[in-house]
Amino acid sequence: MASDPRSTANQRIVEDLVSRLRRRQLVGSRATALETLLVLRQVVSKARFSNIDQLVNVIRIVGRRLVEAQPKEHSVGNTVRKVLHHIREEYHTASERPTVQSSFSIAKFVLQGQPRKQTPIPRSETRVSLKENDPDDPDSFARVLKPVLMEAIQDVFDELETVYDNISKNAKDHIHSDEIILTLGMSRTVQSFLKSAAHYRNYTVIVAETAPSYGGREMAASLSSAGISTFLVPDSSIYALMSRVNKVILGAHAILANGGMFATSGSLLAATAARSYSTPVVVCAGQFKLTPLWNLYHEYGALDFGDPSAVLGFEEGDLVDKVDVVNPYYDYVRPELLDVFITNYGDHPPSSIYRLLKETYDDEDNEL
Amino acid sequence: MPEPGLKPEPADADAQSLSKAQKRAEGRARQEQQRAAKAAQKQQQSGHQIKGDIHPAIVKLGLQFSEFKICGANARCIATLTAFKTVIQDYVTPPHNTLSRHLMTYLSPQITHLVTARPMSVTMGNAIRQLKLEISGSDIDLPEQDAKDALCHKIDEYIRDRIIIADEVIEDLAVKKIKDGDVVLTYARSSLVEKILLRAHSLDKRFSVIVIDSRPLLEGKTLLHSLASTVPPLPCTYALLPALPSLITDADIVLLGAHSLHANGSVYSRAGTAMVAMLAKEHSVPVMLCCETYKFSDTVMLDGFGKNELAPTKFSPQVPKSNSSLEVLNPLYDSTPASCITAVVTEVGLIPPTSISSIPLALGRTTL
Repeated sequence: MASDPRSTANQRIVEDLVSRLRRRQLVGSRATALETLLVLRQVVSKARFSNIDQLVNVIRIVGRRLVEAQPKEHSVGNTVRKVLHHIREEYHTASERPTVQSSFSIAKFVLQGQPRKQTPIPRSETRVSLKENDPDDPDSFARVLKPVLMEAIQDVFDELETVYDNISKNAKDHIHSDEIILTLGMSRTVQSFLKSAAHYRNYTVIVAETAPSYGGREMAASLSSAGISTFLVPDSSIYALMSRVNKVILGAHAILANGGMFATSGSLLAATAARSYSTPVVVCAGQFKLTPLWNLYHEYGALDFGDPSAVLGFEEGDLVDKVDVVNPYYDYVRPELLDVFITNYGDHPPSSIYRLLKETYDDEDNEL
Repeated sequence: MPEPGLKPEPADADAQSLSKAQKRAEGRARQEQQRAAKAAQKQQQSGHQIKGDIHPAIVKLGLQFSEFKICGANARCIATLTAFKTVIQDYVTPPHNTLSRHLMTYLSPQITHLVTARPMSVTMGNAIRQLKLEISGSDIDLPEQDAKDALCHKIDEYIRDRIIIADEVIEDLAVKKIKDGDVVLTYARSSLVEKILLRAHSLDKRFSVIVIDSRPLLEGKTLLHSLASTVPPLPCTYALLPALPSLITDADIVLLGAHSLHANGSVYSRAGTAMVAMLAKEHSVPVMLCCETYKFSDTVMLDGFGKNELAPTKFSPQVPKSNSSLEVLNPLYDSTPASCITAVVTEVGLIPPTSISSIPLALGRTTL
């Protein structure tokens, strides 16, 4: 008998991650993706199941709990979707059943001419008969499948580990000598991208400090210590400097299905200013940020707000109870304002993000 | 001491060596003098360099400018003119000279001193040009005290007509554009916008204000203090510039101030203004620029990069690890293109920004 999926979902390790996400002790897309993956690996290794649906169910329940803990941290859901996708793929390979193309859709039609970049290689050489719902030995299915699944999860893990290197490997093709690049906030992806380009090119970076988190200061310190000539400017001067900027390079929080993105607040200002000067806007992001969502929130980017004391502190005591203070975390940047996404799966214009999504996740997982 | 008769040559040589030593000593003394003079000069430069005959009122004003104690186009212009009144009253025409010919040569170093403290604002430039005109036009036959009084009267008139009364007219015009239930968005702090908002509030208009602010100066906090201290308090929302995209959708009208307005309609104003106007235009929110006609300049401004001013280092952030390739810049101004401004509110009415160049002529003035 398979164990009760609810009890599996309530494992201590899941609860631990849930509370850390909820308390914002764990922030950052890649860090949360990695932690989610560790939890999922644990869950899969402990799960008892006798058919694929039971396993998928367990993962979904865990995934839903994690997503609900911090709905704005989209990389959690994305990692769960990706793991589910890989598990199904491994299962279909192991059971030697081709992926059934039951219904016809435009998306699948597009995919037919587009072979997957990752063709799943049959890993289990010793293919013992994979029997689902074996009444004599209910664990046999899990016993056979688990090593394969572990390898699949390890693949996702490896991909996350190398994501920065893979994004930055073509940096020198995007940044040319003597260019002036504008970036803002603190993004590890953009940081490694710029540093990698600095090995080949001599260029200048202008970093907007991005109030109120002032992540740009950290970014500027880090870039300049790598020998890149760096200017740190306040957010207010982005427009004044834009006339001299050759390229705007931004990080993303989540890439949405329509090719838009959620990014640290300030990104929309920079992207709009860039558009008014026809300066290209380049977004560097790992594939785990691809999110099968549309912006349901419109202008109030992601409806996530930070601590107002960073904007107007208690040193302005007499104002605190009279004034509303707004400190949103994210901006929603429309796809029309962006030119290209540089991911670890190559460069994509915003208009082809939907296709990348179809390749990465299964349609049935869009709602976990 | 050798006998002079016996050994004439050595004596001669001695005399020569003596004269050489003397020369050397003289040279050394001269060098030391030069060095001391240089050191003294350096000391003076490291403080505030005071050359020639600078009036104490101007010295004080220069310090207030460089310390940003007096900041803003109107405040600086009024302060300068008021200081010049003191200077003119304390001025005594030297013998064999006339006031109308000599006063300007006396004022020039005072102006130069103010410019070294902080680059001259367009408003100051316009006012000084008008003052020069008045000085050169003053009657030679007038007794000195009368001539000085006449000049001071002219200065008072200029302040009254071009700034104080002009502001009141603009207040009347702009207040009509604020309706009950409106949300007024403004950026940083313009003394004129502040007066308009307070006037509208005193007229019992029910509206709320969104104050957007940014480093380096964070002047919006001052505006917030004066708005929040009204009775009953004016409902205010405060946010930093990156949060603007989330708030612009709420705004019904944007009121901005200006440092100067140029012949091609571009607005030179506090850094960040351009982005507020740009985003407002994108969201079809009317942008009203409040600006007296004495801020008009007949020069053309194409971007905010060429002509700008950097904030002093005391406004710079504490960068964690500063090194040679990191530079901190704090531009004070930017230039908003005319296309982002809906209307300019001046004391001669609401005009489109592209019609700026026709206003001085329409007013029948040959100079601004």
